[in-house]
Amino acid sequence: MAATGDDAAAMDSISRAPAAHLAALNAAASLSCPAEAPEDVAESPAVAPKKPSTNSDGVETAEEAVEPAESDINELCTDMFEKMSVFLQGELTGTCEDYRLLENMNKITSLKYMEMKDISINISRNLQDLNNKYVSLQPYLDQINQIEEQVSSLEQAAYKLDAYSKKLEARFKKLEKR
Amino acid sequence: MASAETQPRFGQSVKGLLSDKVGSCSGDVIALTRQVLKGSRSQELLGQAARNMVIQEDAILHSEDSLRKMSIITTHLQYQQEAIQKNVEHSKNLQDQLRHLLK
Repeated sequence: MAATGDDAAAMDSISRAPAAHLAALNAAASLSCPAEAPEDVAESPAVAPKKPSTNSDGVETAEEAVEPAESDINELCTDMFEKMSVFLQGELTGTCEDYRLLENMNKITSLKYMEMKDISINISRNLQDLNNKYVSLQPYLDQINQIEEQVSSLEQAAYKLDAYSKKLEARFKKLEKR
Repeated sequence: MASAETQPRFGQSVKGLLSDKVGSCSGDVIALTRQVLKGSRSQELLGQAARNMVIQEDAILHSEDSLRKMSIITTHLQYQQEAIQKNVEHSKNLQDQLRHLLK
């Protein structure tokens, strides 16, 4: 936490430093001090110069030159977080769409099965009615069987009659010849 | 740990470190999201379910077609039953006539 406080102070100092140090540099250059000239010339005017400071042990330290902070950093941060949220939403939307697809497929399949259920109910009802009607037709079908037996016995009787009449005709002709 | 990471390194500004940190955090969030999605295996399970459903669709359509044909056949059977009903009503007269004939 102490380190971040130092960094914040450094950032603030850097943001305030350029104008003051540029003025100081210009003044120093105009005075043409030989001891300070090489240090000043070495630094770029766009970059904040090193700020010498002394710590508790008496050792001179210097901070590195950095670019000044951009004024629209808030907007950039907001933009970054918005884009991050859009990206994360996109990642999760894929899975949501898969679920939606399966949901739609299941709905359509359930509709199909409901139609098939209705058709099956109709078929079952019709077949039950048909079975009942065929049961009611059973006496008539038995009558038809009896008719068929009677017709076959009638046919047998007709054949016998035919054979008898042929025999009778033959005997009659025989008798006529005598 | 935080102080060690945020101390300016040789040749690197605080601002650069901060932007690197933000970038690495963003990357971590993205990797975490992807890992959560991958670990849930929802993509493969849902894809497999969709594929199975597509395979079943042919059988479902065939079953529906068969049921419709069955309903048409049932309707035809009903028509035939009505025709039989109409014709068997004459069989009683026929039977009486045959009984007389066979007497």
